[in-house]
Amino acid sequence: MAENTGQRLTEPRRFALPFKLNLRTREALAAYLFLTPFLIFFAIFFVRAAFSSFELSFYDWRLLRPNRPYVGLDNYVDLFNDPIWWDSVRNTIYFAALTVFGTTSIGLLAAVAVTRPVRGQGFFRILFYVPQLMSVGAMGLIWNWLLSTQFGVINYLLSFIGIRPINWLGDPNLVIPALSMSTIWWSFGFPMLIFIAGLQSIPEHLYEAARIDGANARQIFFRITIPLLRPTILFVTVTGVISHFQVFGQPYIITAGGGPGRSSWTVIIYLYQQAWVAFRMGYGAAVAVAIAMIMAVITVFQFLLISRRVDY
Amino acid sequence: MTKRMSLFSVSMAVIVLTFMLAVSSVNISAQDATPTPAPTATPIVADIGSGGTHISFWNGLTGSDGVTLNEMLAGFAAENPDVSVTVEMIVWNTLYQKLQTAFVAGTQPDVFLLHASEVPQYASYGVLRDLGDQYTSGGGWLPDEDISETTMSGMVWDGVIYGIPLDNHGRGLWINTDMFEAAGISTDPASAPTTYEGWVELFQLLTLDANGNNALSPDFDPENVVQWGYTVGEWPNVNFLAALYQNGGSFLSEDGTTITVNSEAGIAALQQAVDLVYTYHVSPPAAGFDTWQGFGAGMVAVLPTGTWYRNQSLLQTDIHSMAWPNWQFGAEPATWFGAHTFMIPATTEGEKLDAVLRMIEWVSANQVIWASSGQVPARLSAQAELDAELYPSNILLGQNFSEYGIQDPRTTVTQELLTLLDVGLQEALNGIKPADQALNDAAALMQEALDRQ
Repeated sequence: MAENTGQRLTEPRRFALPFKLNLRTREALAAYLFLTPFLIFFAIFFVRAAFSSFELSFYDWRLLRPNRPYVGLDNYVDLFNDPIWWDSVRNTIYFAALTVFGTTSIGLLAAVAVTRPVRGQGFFRILFYVPQLMSVGAMGLIWNWLLSTQFGVINYLLSFIGIRPINWLGDPNLVIPALSMSTIWWSFGFPMLIFIAGLQSIPEHLYEAARIDGANARQIFFRITIPLLRPTILFVTVTGVISHFQVFGQPYIITAGGGPGRSSWTVIIYLYQQAWVAFRMGYGAAVAVAIAMIMAVITVFQFLLISRRVDY
Repeated sequence: MTKRMSLFSVSMAVIVLTFMLAVSSVNISAQDATPTPAPTATPIVADIGSGGTHISFWNGLTGSDGVTLNEMLAGFAAENPDVSVTVEMIVWNTLYQKLQTAFVAGTQPDVFLLHASEVPQYASYGVLRDLGDQYTSGGGWLPDEDISETTMSGMVWDGVIYGIPLDNHGRGLWINTDMFEAAGISTDPASAPTTYEGWVELFQLLTLDANGNNALSPDFDPENVVQWGYTVGEWPNVNFLAALYQNGGSFLSEDGTTITVNSEAGIAALQQAVDLVYTYHVSPPAAGFDTWQGFGAGMVAVLPTGTWYRNQSLLQTDIHSMAWPNWQFGAEPATWFGAHTFMIPATTEGEKLDAVLRMIEWVSANQVIWASSGQVPARLSAQAELDAELYPSNILLGQNFSEYGIQDPRTTVTQELLTLLDVGLQEALNGIKPADQALNDAAALMQEALDRQ
C-alpha cells in the first residue's frame, strides 16, 4: 500500500474570472488572443488603409497640393466615362484569362507528372518551381530579352524553322499573349505545388477500384482526378484570378509601361499612371476601389461556378 | 499515361532549362570581337566625407554621370571637412514619386537635383527655396551672365528663381563612322543634310538588307533588313518636340492654356517619323527594338540620343562613332535640351543650408569636371574652357543647344503631358493609329490634364 506522503500533484493555477465562460467561448477567446498581434497589424495597415482609400476616392487630391476639395462621386463618374479605363479592364481580363488557364492547366499536368513515380521526381519538382522564385524584375528583364525582335532567343530559335522575326512586344495583337506566356512560365510552379497536395489527398482506393473496373488512364484522370480536385482547382483559379488581375510588373518592365501605345495597359498600370505619374490620388483611389469591386464580383462568380460539395 | 506524363515532365524541363540557359548565353556577335571594359557601377547610396554637418542629396543620375558627380562631391568634401554628404541616386521616375511622398511626410532631402522642366510643379506647391540671392543680380556668387538666357528661363517660375543649373543635356545624333564611310558618306558634321528629303536619302543609303542592297535599290528587301539607317524608338518625345518646332509648330498656345501639338505642323512632324518606318523602311518600329543595343551591335548607323551617350560610346571600342548635330526635318533647325537643376526645399535651414549652398557653389565652380559625364556644363565660362580634343561632343551639341535649343513646355503638369504625348507617339510609330488620330487623341487627353492643373 502506497504511503500517503501528504503531497498533492500541483496543477497550474488558473486565473479566476469573475464570471463563468463555457468551453467554446473560452476556446474562441484564446484563439482571438493568439490572433490579436496579427489583427492589430491587419487593422492598421490593411483595414484602415482600405477605408482611407475609399474615403480618398471622394476627394480631388494632388499629392503636394495643400487643398483637397470634396468632389462626391465625380471620380467614379469620370472613371466610368473614361474609354482608357475600359480598355485597361479588357486587357486585364484577357491577360488574366489566358494566364489563369495556362498556369492552371500546365500546373495540373506538371503536378500529375511529378506525382507519378518517375526517375528524378524531386529534380523535376524543384526545376518547375524555380522560376517562381525569381523577382518580377528579374523575370521581366529576362523575357524582355527573350522576346526582343532583333536579339531575342525565341525569334532566333524560330528562325531555324523559317519563321521571320516576330515583333512580340510591338504588335498590339501579340503583346498580351506574349506577356501571358512569360507569366505562365514564371508562375505555374505555385499551382503545381497546390495540385500536388490535392492529388496526394485523393484516396488511393478510388484509383484501385477504377482500375479493377477496367478504367483506362484517361478515364481515371477525367472521372476521378479532376472531379475530386475541384476544391483545389477552385482555390488555384480564385487565387490566380486575384493575383493575375493585379498584374503590373510584367507590362511595366517587359513592355516599358504597357506599350506599344496602351496595348498592354492593365488596370493597375492605369492606377499607377493616374496616382503616381499624374499624382491624382483621389482618382487613383477610385480606380483602386473599382478594381477591388471587379475582383470581388469575379471571385463570387467563380465560387458559384465551381464550388460544389465533394464527397469522397 | 505514365509515359506521357514522363514525356511531359521532360518537355517542360527542356523548356524551363532552355530559357534559363538561353538567357545566360545570349551574346551579340559584334560585341564579342573585342571585350569592352566593364563600366563602373554607380553606387545607389554614397556617403561622402565625414564632417559633422550632414546633408542629404537626392538625384536621378544613375548612369555614368552619377560616378562623375560623386567624384566631384568627394573633391568638395576634401575641401570642406566639416561637411558630409549622403547621396541617393534614384531612377528619375521613382525619384519624382519619392520626392512628392517625402515632402508630404516631411522627410525630404536637404537638396535635390531635378530637371528644369519640374521647377514649375514644385515651385507652384510652395516647397522650394527662393535662390535669387545666389545670383549676382541678388547679391550672390553666380554671375547671371554666365548662364544662357534659354537655360536661365528654366530656373524661373512666376518671376522667382528656384534653381541653379548644373548642365545642359540634350539631343544630338551618334553616327557609326565605319558605316558612313562604307556608304561613301562624309562624316563631317558640316555636311549633314538640312532637309527631310536629304536625311531620308542619307538613311536609305545606310539601310541594308541581307543581300547588301541599300534602301534606295530597287532590289531592296524591307522584310530582311540587317542594318538600319536610323531608329525612331529612342525617346520619341524629344524627337517629336524637335520636329514640331522645326516644322513651325508649338507645344502650347502663347497664353499657355491650349495644347497645340496636333496642329498641322505637329501632324506633319509625326508623319515624317512614321514614314521613316513604314514608307522608307529605314527604321524599325519603335517597340521591340533596343536602340542602344542595336547601335552597340552594329545594326544601326545613326542613333538619335544625347550628350549622355559620350561615355557609352567610349566603352564601345569595337564601334567607331562620333557625335553629329540633330537632324533637320523642317524649315528651321531645332533640338531638345534640358538642364539638371539644383533645388533646395524651403525647409532646409541653418548649418545644413549653409553646407548645401557651399556644395552647390563648389560644384558650379568646377563644372569643367562635369563635362566628363558627357553633359554640357551650364556655365558659359565652363563651356569655353572645354578641351576640343577631349570633349568634342559636349562642345558640338552645347553649341547647338545655345543656337537653336528648345525645352520642355513650362507647366505644372509637364510630366503628365509628356507621358500622355508619348503614348500617342508610340501608337503612331507602331502602326496602331494614323499619325493625325494618334496626335488628336493624345492632345485631347493632354488638354484635360492641362485644364485640371
